[in-house]
Amino acid sequence: MPALWIVAILLALAAAGYLAGRARAIRSAGGDRRNMHSLPSYYGANVAMTVLIPALGLLVLWSLIQPSLIERSIADDIPAAAIGGDTTLDLMMADVRRVAGGLDQLGTPTLITKPAEAPSEEFLSGLREDLGSVGVALASDIAPGVFRAARSYQLAEANGRFWMTIAVLGVGVLGLAAAYAVTNREFRARNVVERGILAGLILCALIAILTTLGIVLSMLFETQNFFSQYSWTEFFFGLEWAPDFRGNSSLSIIPLLWGTLYISLIALLVAVPIGLFAAIYLSEYASPRMRTYAKPMIEVLAGIPTIVYGLFALITVGPILRDYFALPMGIGESASSVATAGVVMGVMLIPFVSSLSDDIINAVPQAMRDGSFGLGATHSETIRQVVIPAALPGIVGAILLAASRAIGETMIVVLGAGAAAAQFNRGLGELVNPFEAMTTVTVKIVSQLTGDTDFASPETLVAFALGLTLFVITLGLNVLALYIVRKYREQYE
Amino acid sequence: MNDLALAAKTEAALKPKISAKGVDVYYADNHAIKNVDVNILDKTVTAFIGPSGCGKSTFLRCLNRMNDTIDIARIEGEILLDGEDIYDPKVDPVQLRAKVGMVFQKPNPFPKSIFDNVSYGPRIHGMARNKAELEEIVESALRRAALWDEVKDRLLAPGTGLSGGQQQRLCIARAVATAPEVLLMDEPCSALDPIATAQIEELIDELRQNYSLVIVTHSMQQAARVSQKTAFFHLGNLVEYGETGHIFTNPEDSRTEAYITGRIG
Amino acid sequence: MTDIAMPGAPRKGSLLVRDARTARRNAAEARFRTYGLIAVLLGLLALVVLVVSIIGNGASAFRQSYVTVPVTLLEEKLDKSGTRDPAVMAKVSTFGYAPLIAAGVQDAMDAAGIEIEGLSTKGAGGIVSKDAPAQLRDFVLSNPGLLGQTVDFTFLASGRIDGYFKGRVTAQTAALDKNVSPEQLLLADALKEAGALETRFNWSFITAPDASDQRPEAAGLGVAILGSFYMMLVVLALALPIGVAASIYLEEFAPKNRITDVIEVNISNLAAVPSIVFGILGLAIFINFAGLPQSAPIVGGLVLTLMTLPRIIIPSRAALQAVPPSIREAALGVGASKMQTVFHHVLPLAAPGILTGLIIGLGQALGETAPLLLIGMVAFVREYPSPPIDGIFDPATALPVQIFNWTQRSDPAFVERASGAIIVLLIFLLIMNLTAILLRRRFERRW
Repeated sequence: MPALWIVAILLALAAAGYLAGRARAIRSAGGDRRNMHSLPSYYGANVAMTVLIPALGLLVLWSLIQPSLIERSIADDIPAAAIGGDTTLDLMMADVRRVAGGLDQLGTPTLITKPAEAPSEEFLSGLREDLGSVGVALASDIAPGVFRAARSYQLAEANGRFWMTIAVLGVGVLGLAAAYAVTNREFRARNVVERGILAGLILCALIAILTTLGIVLSMLFETQNFFSQYSWTEFFFGLEWAPDFRGNSSLSIIPLLWGTLYISLIALLVAVPIGLFAAIYLSEYASPRMRTYAKPMIEVLAGIPTIVYGLFALITVGPILRDYFALPMGIGESASSVATAGVVMGVMLIPFVSSLSDDIINAVPQAMRDGSFGLGATHSETIRQVVIPAALPGIVGAILLAASRAIGETMIVVLGAGAAAAQFNRGLGELVNPFEAMTTVTVKIVSQLTGDTDFASPETLVAFALGLTLFVITLGLNVLALYIVRKYREQYE
Repeated sequence: MNDLALAAKTEAALKPKISAKGVDVYYADNHAIKNVDVNILDKTVTAFIGPSGCGKSTFLRCLNRMNDTIDIARIEGEILLDGEDIYDPKVDPVQLRAKVGMVFQKPNPFPKSIFDNVSYGPRIHGMARNKAELEEIVESALRRAALWDEVKDRLLAPGTGLSGGQQQRLCIARAVATAPEVLLMDEPCSALDPIATAQIEELIDELRQNYSLVIVTHSMQQAARVSQKTAFFHLGNLVEYGETGHIFTNPEDSRTEAYITGRIG
Repeated sequence: MTDIAMPGAPRKGSLLVRDARTARRNAAEARFRTYGLIAVLLGLLALVVLVVSIIGNGASAFRQSYVTVPVTLLEEKLDKSGTRDPAVMAKVSTFGYAPLIAAGVQDAMDAAGIEIEGLSTKGAGGIVSKDAPAQLRDFVLSNPGLLGQTVDFTFLASGRIDGYFKGRVTAQTAALDKNVSPEQLLLADALKEAGALETRFNWSFITAPDASDQRPEAAGLGVAILGSFYMMLVVLALALPIGVAASIYLEEFAPKNRITDVIEVNISNLAAVPSIVFGILGLAIFINFAGLPQSAPIVGGLVLTLMTLPRIIIPSRAALQAVPPSIREAALGVGASKMQTVFHHVLPLAAPGILTGLIIGLGQALGETAPLLLIGMVAFVREYPSPPIDGIFDPATALPVQIFNWTQRSDPAFVERASGAIIVLLIFLLIMNLTAILLRRRFERRW
């Protein structure tokens, strides 16, 4: 029975339970609601809750666990001899799954009843055609081993689904019976239902923690795999990035980190002065009219997806920088460059810096400004010598947050920065040339995980080590920045 | 020399330091100050009293054009400082405020060191030619504000770390350091405890030797203690202006009497 | 105390004379102010250049050149047996149809009296998209009765010819290009003159699926838009209840203790974690561990949900916080339970704020690209996914990923496509943000 049907039956059961529970509670109070502890609907809700929660929980757990259990047992059954040549266990299992799915669709359980029975050649090629007709196209005829595995896969799945249906519906019915039994007018139904809701709320709040845990654990696990195949000193302290899919790669993070930090630096050099001065102008000088129009317009820049900036770098900024700066000066011929990605990323960060700085500058009490004006300071003297120093910690926090954004940015560098890693053996000139193409940590995470490589090779796994490093760096910056900003706000509260 | 006698003498000897004629102030559509005429004398403490919202602070802020920083404020009439119209288009408010300093209701030291707080004004106005002169100015300002002995060992500590009364005296020192001719004080003691208040009042009396002081206060006792001249504001009007002793003992206007005896305000 | 010397004694100068120092200071003031103005203008300029560049490059993607040609459906080519059996006719591949189209173009030339030196019939057929034979074949297989007749068909012109009318291709570039010849451009001009070729609005850019590298003119956004829409459905279905529940717990019920602190710090940090990290999470957990299919909207939706959650929780909490305590006290005062107070009174009042935050969060999710690259959404998908709920497990791509995909192709016509797709994306975002602004305007309440 498909999961959807099980859920539908459970819902029907819950609805019935709701009505029954409600009716029983009213009956036990002799039809007078004033004699009941809670409103009638709470008694119903209690029954419905007891039906749904354990049963749905079981359903989800079962659905999560069953496929991997079946897969493991089928994979164990495939003889090692069947694997080899151009096929791997993973590819074979994919075939098994597809054939099993096709058999399900064909609805041909009668063709061959026992998985052990040997199918004939023509049956298999006929089956291939039949499968093709339901959209399961296979490259070659089905190997008997694969067919047998697919059959047992199919049977195991059907079996599992059958028992799951029984178990889940059983739990639902049991819940109904139990909740119905305890329902009477004395029962504190509201308290129980509210406790249930509260538990649900807590669970939702914990998802944030689970996400973080998921991020850290998933990356830690694969990073550990990576370091079991590749030396960690080489990764952190080597100077060369040269992946080679035949093996023997140099996979050091330093050249990538150099590109990341260089591009981020240029981005900040663009974003911080413009963002800060724009914030100062808009909060201190601009007329209310200008503020109402200019401020949202600059903030629009923050709402534009990064892929748009990436394309902007690729088709507009890159060629302009190349044709009007790099080529005339003879210091680069690539449209993808540190400067391209840096400038565009800087534009992206302008609203980020300006709106954060704006908040922070506005948090400086008016009394400070009055004190300075009262002494005969001009507006700019007041800003430079009183407002900015007072707001400095907050502004530093804002810049750190912007830096963290720049370091973690992906699409702009994928499209604007280039794919070649910085090369330390070519000398300082190329390393610091902003018109040289250079790649970053995020670019390499994308390219290593989207290539057609073996998932277990160090060339792929390195992406997790890169991701973990990126996560740690940005997390550190964020925690520091949020701490500084929070301290700053407390100072003026 | 008693206050009355001193006042009588100075009034005769000096022409008014500040003279306001027909001043009206509007906040957007709200008519906050209505046709005020007043002459403020040099080397005298003038107190502005009146119930909350009567316009006394607004008027004070007109005297060094602090209202310029409020977009919706509009002012009409004439205010002369030493015979020069301070609202003349040729006048730079920056130069004006160097001559007419201001101390605010709540102590507002900058988040900098004590030294930097006091030296801020002299630095922006370029009053010192070198570091030694700057230090001299800071020291003398702190001495005038009766704060020197308390802070001379920690001039580089942040000004925000001082007690409330000390902070307010720091703000007075900061204002004094720019060598103003007039010092405006907007309820300088309202955020302070009685002991700190007494110290500030004593200081005001000292400062009278060199400056013309205008003090807005909520407390009639304070006005009586520190001022020689008193102006009573009510609903934006200057109701009565005269010798402090006269106003408090023998007010001419019934509204003044009502306020002083505690029936309004 | 009065006897202390005053260095820098009051300057007794007149107020009406501006001294040199004040003039200098005012000049510095004006300079500073100008820097600020320049910064604001630079920010606005960046926005204008960005928008103009995208629209300039992409607006033409919405228009496409079409050629109308009379095609004679020769029976001896398409159905040698003469049985009209679809299974037999299906044995003729698209290669069998291409000559018919070329002949059709030749016919159109003859009818209009166009003669171009050095252009073979095959060459003339080259002005029609490589997609056309497949289109013709589908038509013939579903209408076998029309075999033997001559039917007028409107086909897409090839990408190069289309580029010629959009100024991307000229006679000079065509001479160097093996995909198009100057003679074909002349033919295109002549056909346009004769009314057989026209450039008009191109709905199929929005509805058609992607097309291969060789036929940019046929590439459309249909699958990508559907995929993005399915992902948004998943995000909406998960992030709204979970986000609201988490905000309610943290704002209304959570005790002030370490665990709550940890959750709060965690949420604000999650909001700043680079999006690519969420992609790694999705790859490791949802695909490798849970075994969900690659390229499926469900995985994209789950990843985007996790990414969007903190961005929904933060404004939702602010909205709950803005409901004054007096409302809660009033409800508690008449004997409502805490839970009833929250769900009957606080939540409805906070709903507009929560909704606004939700829409903005969805907008961010819609434009997100990087994490989707890692979970295989960058695939080449020509099949429309089925309707939900099954459809969310079918392969699909997403708008921003489709844009990225097109930027990686060699034919310059795809740059136009990518920019055009960005216009579509930006229009969606604009609509969402305007809705959020209107909601805020309409329901904003000041306590």
